[in-house]
Amino acid sequence: MEEKPTPLLDVWYQWRYPMIFLTLFVLAVGVTNSTIEGNWQKLFDSPRNIQTFFSESLWPPDWSVVDPQAYPVCEKPEAFDFMCSTAWIGTLETLKIAFVATVFGMIISYPISILAAENISPGWVSYPARIFLAAFRSLPSILWAILFVIMVGLGPMAGILAMTLYTVGYLGKLQYEAIEGVAKPQLDASRAMGHGWLERSFGVILPESANNLISQAIFMFEYNFRHGTVIGIVGAGGIGYYINLYLKFLQYDKVFAYVIIIFIVVIVIDLLSKFVRSFFRDDKKMRKHPWWTIVLPSGLTIKLMKKKP
Amino acid sequence: MVEVAENDIVQGHDLAIGYAKDDVLLSGINLTLKPGEIVAINGASGIGKTTLLRTFAGLLDPIKGQVNIFGKPKGNRGEIGYIPQRLGLIRHASVNHNVMLGAKAGHTSAWFPFSRVCKIHALEAIESVGLKHKLRTPIRKLSGGQQRRVAVARTLAQKPRLILADEFLAELDEETLNIVMQKVLTYVKENNAIMILVEHDFERAMQMADRLFTAVGDKLIEIGEGIVPPNSTIVG
Repeated sequence: MEEKPTPLLDVWYQWRYPMIFLTLFVLAVGVTNSTIEGNWQKLFDSPRNIQTFFSESLWPPDWSVVDPQAYPVCEKPEAFDFMCSTAWIGTLETLKIAFVATVFGMIISYPISILAAENISPGWVSYPARIFLAAFRSLPSILWAILFVIMVGLGPMAGILAMTLYTVGYLGKLQYEAIEGVAKPQLDASRAMGHGWLERSFGVILPESANNLISQAIFMFEYNFRHGTVIGIVGAGGIGYYINLYLKFLQYDKVFAYVIIIFIVVIVIDLLSKFVRSFFRDDKKMRKHPWWTIVLPSGLTIKLMKKKP
Repeated sequence: MVEVAENDIVQGHDLAIGYAKDDVLLSGINLTLKPGEIVAINGASGIGKTTLLRTFAGLLDPIKGQVNIFGKPKGNRGEIGYIPQRLGLIRHASVNHNVMLGAKAGHTSAWFPFSRVCKIHALEAIESVGLKHKLRTPIRKLSGGQQRRVAVARTLAQKPRLILADEFLAELDEETLNIVMQKVLTYVKENNAIMILVEHDFERAMQMADRLFTAVGDKLIEIGEGIVPPNSTIVG
């Protein structure tokens, strides 16, 4: 039996995606309107406010944060005296916390995420595992940090513990979604051969989803670094401690300098991620774009790079 | 005729297969395969050939009837070697790793998958398909034909008693095809293994198999003398 095309159906098939997006957009605007009770004036005032704030408090950033601290006395040679600055010490500490938390979190979350993946574990295993991961995730890392500051006191230890737990919940979810994306033939062949759980998890799934797992782990590292600034605020160590300090004294220009440093480190981590993942790409030679293209949309990058031979 | 013990045969008894109870692809299948036998299945695409292989591989429960793989419904560890149509190789891992997966399944236990014997079997299999120089190359850097040879090597290294192969000779050039085909056929005959293969190419299926089945409608028909399969292209 042949389906009769009606004009209305034709229009729907041709325009369904724009129509769905338009509907969603209108819905979002409507919900916003009801949430702010129709007071759009605030939005139109906002550029002026941010301009005042930017010109009076933020700009120029106060780079004294990279000068060595007065105490303890800096023993580094003069060219390296920035290594005694709060910015350097804080960034390094946050990086260390983020690194340790990501590594531990990854190791703990991988077995759990295998249990949580629906394509390799039965429902009675995967649902409890998912609930377990969701429980770790549902407390934001700052609340974990407060909890651990109470338990082990102020300092980086609380930061490491808080971030590890949060990483387990967050990375675990990303990982089991990556594992569920492993193609069927691979698992079919493994099942037919009669592989055990151990062989399938580490011999088949781990290498097959390596690309995703690595990019997620590096994303998590970057996320942990950015969040290190937040959990520092409750006293769990790192650059956040200094940001919080200057926020209290309303020295926004110094805070702005820290924010720029964080931005630079995030870019470096992104570059690193691109580099590491290039080993797991299907194309044999991946073209390495210059670092500054990271700030551009990818389409524009490709266009720009094509012009130069 | 010699009687063969039940745990030496592969059998489908009154099978109905498919992915849902109200969507049966093939039904009324009665199939008994004795050691050393090669069976080819032929038929239009989407008719349920791959589903039949998956059912024998224990990946899918039959809707009706029973499967008997050497006396068990799903066979023992390492007894079934399955080459899916899309091969199921691990793209980011090396040739050696992929073939070792087969060797481990065939020669170790599930909870202690480490043995020196595996290495020997894996190397032998890789050599036999002519890929020794690609031992450490990741699968994603191999051509389609080479990947197919790795999949065959994985199954040979496993030394299974039942080989299920889904279009395993596609994409191969004539020379490699003959080599790979001979390797697999010799293995089956020498080790008294059983092989079920899905093959589109009717003539090649005739050449390899002892018995030939074709799927028509929802039935599996054995092609014997005088019965010409529908839509086939036999000349002469």
